[in-house]
Amino acid sequence: MLDLQGYGPRLIEGAGVTLSLALLSLLLAIVLGLLTASAKMSRNWLLHKFATLYTTVIRGVPDLVLMMLLFFGGQMALNVATDALYDRFGVDWYINLNAFAAGVITIGFIFGAYMGETFRGAFLAVDEGQIEAGRAYGMSDWLVFRRIRFPLMMRHALPGLSNNWMVLLKTTALVSVIGLSDMVRVAAEASRATHEPFVFLIPVALIYLAIASVSELIFARLQKRYNVGFGGH
Amino acid sequence: MELTTWLTDLLDGNLIFTPQTLGYYWDGLVTTSQLVFLSLLAGLVLAIPLAIGRSSRHRWISLPIYVYTYVFRGTPLLIQLYIIYYGVVFVDGIQESIFWPLLREAFYPALIAFTLNTAAYTTEIFRGAIKATSRGEIEAARAYGMSNALTMRRIVLPSAFRRALPAYGNEVIFMLHASAIASVVTLMDLTGAARFVYARFYAPFEAFLFVAAIYLCLTFAILYFFRFLEKRLLAHLKPA
Amino acid sequence: MAATPMPLEARNIKKRFGDTEVLKGLSLQAHKGDVITLIGASGSGKSTFLRCMNLLEQPDEGDLLMHGDEIRFKQTQRGREPADWKQVVRMRAKLSMVFQSFNLWAHMTLLENIIEAPIHVLGKPKKEALEQAHALLERVGLTARANAYPAQMSGGQQQRGAIARALAMDPEVMLFDEPTSALDPELVGDVLKVMRDLADEGRTMVVVTHEMGFARDVSSQVIYLHQGLIEEAGPPREILANPSSPRLQQFLAPKY
Repeated sequence: MLDLQGYGPRLIEGAGVTLSLALLSLLLAIVLGLLTASAKMSRNWLLHKFATLYTTVIRGVPDLVLMMLLFFGGQMALNVATDALYDRFGVDWYINLNAFAAGVITIGFIFGAYMGETFRGAFLAVDEGQIEAGRAYGMSDWLVFRRIRFPLMMRHALPGLSNNWMVLLKTTALVSVIGLSDMVRVAAEASRATHEPFVFLIPVALIYLAIASVSELIFARLQKRYNVGFGGH
Repeated sequence: MELTTWLTDLLDGNLIFTPQTLGYYWDGLVTTSQLVFLSLLAGLVLAIPLAIGRSSRHRWISLPIYVYTYVFRGTPLLIQLYIIYYGVVFVDGIQESIFWPLLREAFYPALIAFTLNTAAYTTEIFRGAIKATSRGEIEAARAYGMSNALTMRRIVLPSAFRRALPAYGNEVIFMLHASAIASVVTLMDLTGAARFVYARFYAPFEAFLFVAAIYLCLTFAILYFFRFLEKRLLAHLKPA
Repeated sequence: MAATPMPLEARNIKKRFGDTEVLKGLSLQAHKGDVITLIGASGSGKSTFLRCMNLLEQPDEGDLLMHGDEIRFKQTQRGREPADWKQVVRMRAKLSMVFQSFNLWAHMTLLENIIEAPIHVLGKPKKEALEQAHALLERVGLTARANAYPAQMSGGQQQRGAIARALAMDPEVMLFDEPTSALDPELVGDVLKVMRDLADEGRTMVVVTHEMGFARDVSSQVIYLHQGLIEEAGPPREILANPSSPRLQQFLAPKY
C-alpha cells in the first residue's frame, strides 16, 4: 500500500529529510535567537544596531528570496574565497555547499530573527525581583541564568516558540525549490511523472498535518510544565 | 522618451541592469501586486462569512470551517499550490468549461491557492476578534432590542474589524512574502524575474539583492499604511 | 394591546443555574410612575431578577407581562425559550436597561451610541434622532463630550451617557442594574442626581442598588430579596425605618 507506484520509499525518505531539516534549523534558530535577543538587550550600541538590522531585513524579505540568495550566492562566495585561498596560500580546498546544509543555514538564519523577537519579549517579561533574589542567595550569573531566568523566560517564550516552529515546519517545503529531495520535491516529481498529483500531494499534506498536530501536543505538555506555580495559564 | 535616455545613460556600462532586465522586474512587480491584491481581496470577502460561521454555536456550521482553516493553516502553501496547479486538469469537465482558457495559465491556479490560503488565516484572525467582543456591549445591544443579525452588523463586526487590524496587517505582509512561490509554477512575478536574471547572467547577488530590496520597500509601505490605519481607526481605544 | 396602567409585571419568576435555584418565585408589579428598588446582599438574586425582566436571562418558570400583554414561551431542548423573538425585541425596545459596567459601544462616539438603537431598532429618521440626542446630552450635562469615545470619558460620564442612551429609546420602563457600583465614590453623586430627576419626572423605574439613600428618598416601593425570595416589601418609610424581618434589620444595620 505504501508503494505508491514505486515512490513510496522515496517519499518516506523525503519525510525524514523534512523532519531532520526542520529540527536542525530549529536548533540553529534558537541559538541565533538567543544571541540576537541578548544583542538587542545589550548596552553595546553597535551590537544593538546590528541585531535590529538583522531582524528587520530578514522579516522584510520573502523566505524564498533569502534562500536563493544564500544558496546560489553562498556557493559563489565560497568559490571566490577558496580560490583566493589557493592563489595566496596554495591551499587546495573546495567546499561544496550542499542543499541540505544550505537549507538548514538559511531556515535557521531566517527564524533566528523571529526567535530573537520572541526571546527578547520573554526576557523582558521576567520579574527582575526573582533574579535579584537569586543573586542575593549567592548564585553565580550562570546559575541564575540556568536555574531562574531561563525557566521563567521559557514560560513567556513558549507560545511564540511554538508558533515559530509551526511556520518553520511549513517553510521547509521551500527547500524543494533549491533542489533538496524533501517530501515535497519527491511528491511534485512523482505528480509530474505519473499525472496523478492527488495520490502523492495529499499524503504529503497529511504528513505535515500529523507533524503539526503532534507538535501541538508536545508544546501543550511543555507549557503545562513551565506553568507550574502560575495557576492556570 | 526622456526617461529612457536618462535610464540608458544611468545604466551605461552595466551589463546586468539593462532597461530590458529592469522591464522584467517591472512586469514582475505588476504580477506580484495583482496576485497579492486580488487574493487578499477575495480572501477577505470569503473570510467574513466564514468567521461568523466559525463563531457559531452550531457545531455543524463551525466544525467544517474549522477543518478547512486547520488544513490550510497546517500545510505549506507550496503543497496547496501544487495540488491546485497540477490537480486542476483532473477536475471532471473542467477542460470543456469556459474557465479552462483561464485555468490553463499558471496565474489563476496560483490566485486560487493564495485566496484559499489567506482566507483560512483571515478567518481565524476575525474569529479571534469576534470572540473578544465585550459581552457587555453585546448585552447592551440585545437589551435595546437589536436582533442577532443587527447586533452582528452594527456592534460585533465593526469593533472586531478594528481589533483585527494589526494581525491583518501581518497577514498582508505574509501574503506578499508567500507570493514569491508563484515563481515555482513558472509565473514571472518579482521572484520569477530575479530567478530569470540570475539564470541568464549567473549573478546571484545582483539578481536577488535587488529583488530583496524591492520586497523590503513594499513591506515597509504596507507596514506604514497599517500604522496609519490603526492610528485613525483605533483612536477610540486610547484614553484622551 | 390593552393599555392597562401596569407597564410591567413579573409573576412567580423562577430561575436556576445548574443545581442552584437562584430565583425561587418572585413577583413584581410596576405601575406607571413607580420607582421600585431591589435591595439585598450579593447573591440574593436581585440582578438576575432584573435581567429576567428583559430576558437577558431566560426564566425557567413564571410570566412576564407588558401592559397585560404576556410574553409567550416554548419548551426546547435547551430549556424554556421565548416562542416569538420578535415579541421580545418589541418588548426590549420599551424597556431600556442601564448596566453596572455602562456597556457603551467602544467603537462609537457618545453621540453615535445614543442614536444607534433609535435609528436601527425604532426606525427613527436620523435628523430627529440627532436632535433628540443633543437634547438628552444637555440634560445629563455632557454636551461637550458628544464626540468623545467611551474610553476617553470618566466612569461617571460614561454612566450618564449610558442613561442618555437609554432615554433615547423613549422607554416605558427603565431598568437600572447597580448603576453606581462601578463608580469612584466622588462620581456617584452626579449619576444619582440624574436618576432622581428622572423619578421626579414620573418615569417608571426598576432599580437594583446598594445606595440606601436613593432607595429611601426616591423609591415608591422597596423590595428586599434574600436567597431568591422576597423577604420584605413595601414603601421605604415603612420597611427601611421599621424592618420587621431580622435579616433586613441586620442588612440595614451600620457595618461599623
